[in-house]
Amino acid sequence: MAETKGGKKTFKVFRYDPAKGGEGHFDTFDLEIEDYYATTILDVLFRIQREHDQSLSFRYACRVAMCGSCGMVINGKEGLACKTVVADLKTPEITLRPLNHFPIVKDLTVDMEPFFKKYEEAMPYFDPAEEASEPAIVRPDTWERKAIDMATDCIACGCCVSSCTMAFWHKDYLGPAALNRSMTLLADSRDGLHDERLATAMESCYNCRLEFNCTEVCPKEISPTRAIKYIHRMAISQGPGLAQRLSPAPEPVALPAPEPLTPEMSRRRFLGRSAVSLGVVAGAALVGLVSVSALSAAFKKPECKWVSLGPLEKLTAAPGEVLTIYADYSLEDGFYKRQEHKPVLVEMDREKNKVTAFNSRCTHLGCTVHWDQQKKLFLCACHGGTFFPDGTVKSGPPPRPLDRYETKVSGGQLYVLEA
Amino acid sequence: MTIANKLNYRQPLHRGVLDPNRIRATQAGMWAWLWQRISALAILVFLVLHLTLTYRPLLQFCLLFTVTFHAVLGLRVILIDFGLVHVRYQKLLLAGLGLLGAVMLAIVWFGIY
Ligand code: SF4
Ligand code: SF4
Ligand code: FES
Ligand code: FES
Repeated sequence: MAETKGGKKTFKVFRYDPAKGGEGHFDTFDLEIEDYYATTILDVLFRIQREHDQSLSFRYACRVAMCGSCGMVINGKEGLACKTVVADLKTPEITLRPLNHFPIVKDLTVDMEPFFKKYEEAMPYFDPAEEASEPAIVRPDTWERKAIDMATDCIACGCCVSSCTMAFWHKDYLGPAALNRSMTLLADSRDGLHDERLATAMESCYNCRLEFNCTEVCPKEISPTRAIKYIHRMAISQGPGLAQRLSPAPEPVALPAPEPLTPEMSRRRFLGRSAVSLGVVAGAALVGLVSVSALSAAFKKPECKWVSLGPLEKLTAAPGEVLTIYADYSLEDGFYKRQEHKPVLVEMDREKNKVTAFNSRCTHLGCTVHWDQQKKLFLCACHGGTFFPDGTVKSGPPPRPLDRYETKVSGGQLYVLEA
Repeated sequence: MTIANKLNYRQPLHRGVLDPNRIRATQAGMWAWLWQRISALAILVFLVLHLTLTYRPLLQFCLLFTVTFHAVLGLRVILIDFGLVHVRYQKLLLAGLGLLGAVMLAIVWFGIY
C-alpha cells in the first residue's frame, strides 16, 4: 500500500467571471488534505466549492478518466483532474488553470467548440467502402489493428491541443487530437473516405514540429505525434496523384485569355522570383567560396626546403667525376604529403672548393638524367638528350642546360634547396 | 444567437501565460525544438564571426559546437520523420545522439584540428 500521508496544501485557482469581465486572476485556497494519495484534484475542487466558494466553476462527468470533461492545466501540465492525485504534485503550491487555446467560459470551464470543430473537419466517422451485412472482424493480432492500437482510446479531453504550441501559432492546424483520430481511420483498409481524409490530414500534418508535448500530457497515453508521423509517411507514399484521384482531369477546353495580374499575384510572383534569384546567387557564392577555399591549397606553390645530402667529407669523388646522391624528403603538395626519393647529381671540385648540384630532371620532358663515367657526359634516358659536365646541352632536344640547385654547407652537411 | 454571444467569454489563455510552472511544463521534445531554432541562429552569428575574424580558436570551437548541437537535433528529427526510430525512444534518442555528438566533437577538436 502506498504511504499514507497528508498535510496542508495551497491551491491557486484561476478565476474569471464573465459577468465582471477583465483578465482573470488566481484565488488562493489553503486546504488540509488528509491523504495525498487518495485525494484527486477533482476532490479538491469539490471541497473548495463546498467549503470556500460556491461560485467556482469546473466541468466533470464520469470521475473515472473516461469522459474527458475535467481536462485542465495542473501545475503547468495538462491532465485530468479526476486522474491526478495530490501526491503526483510535489510543489507546496499547486496551480490550477483552464486549458490553453480555448475561450474561457468561467473559471476552469472552457468552450470546447474550437476543438470539436476541428475534430469534425478531420471527418472522425467511419464510412465503409463496401456495404456489409455482417460486422467486420478485425483480429487484435493483425498489423492493421496494432498500428492504431492505443490511438483509438482518445477521450477528446483537449489536453493535447492545449499543450501544443503549434495549435496556437497555426490557426488552421487541426491539432494532435483530430489528426490522431484521422490516423486511426486512415489506417483502416475498409475506409471509404480514405482519399478525402488524407487530403484534409495532409493540409495539417506538416504543422507539427515534433515537440512531443501532446504525447507527454495525454492522460490516455496516446502519442498523437506518432499518429502524425504515420500520416507523414502515408502522405509520401500516397500523396502524389491524390489531387487527380479526388478530381479526375476535366475535359480539355480552349485556353482562356490570360487574366490581368492582380496586385496580389504580381507581388507573389515578384517575391517568388526574388527568392529564387537570391537563392541562386547565394548558392553560387557558396559554391564559389567552398571551391576556392578547398582548391586554394592545391594551387599553392609548394614551399622550397633545404634537403640534406649527407656529411660533406663523405662525398668523395675522383676529379672530373659526378656523384649521384639520393635525396629523401617529404613534400606537401596541395592536400597530399609526398615522399620524394630522387637522384641529385653532384659535381665536386676540391681544388676550387666548389660544389655544383644538378637537378636530374631533363629540361626537355623531365626524364631522369644520369652521369656516364666513360663518356664523361650526362645522358638522358630517352629522346637522346646529352649534356656536358657543366650542364650545358651537347645534343638532342633539351632546350636549355640542366637546372642547378642552390647549395649551402652547414654543420659539415651539404644541403640543396629543393622544391 | 449562440451562447458565446450572450456570455462574456475571456480570450483563450496562451501556453505559459499566467503560469508560474511554465519552465517545468516544457518537455524534452519541446526543448529540443526550441534549441534547434536557437542553435540555428547561433550558427549564423558564429559563421559570420568566423569568416570575419579568422583563426580564433575560441570562435572556431563555438562554431563547431553549435553546428554539432544543431546537427544532433536535426538527426533526431530525421530519424523520427522517416520512421527509422520509434517515437517511443525520442528522449533516449536525444541522449544517445547528444553523446554521439560530444564524441564527434572531441574527435574533431582534439584529433583532427
Ligand atoms: S489524444 Fe489524448 S490528450 Fe488528446 S484529446 Fe485524446 S485523450 Fe485527450
Ligand atoms: S508533437 Fe506536434 S501535435 Fe504534438 S504538441 Fe508537438 S507540434 Fe503539437
Ligand atoms: S471526470 Fe471524466 S475524465 Fe475526469
Ligand atoms: S626528356 Fe630528356 S631528351 Fe626528352
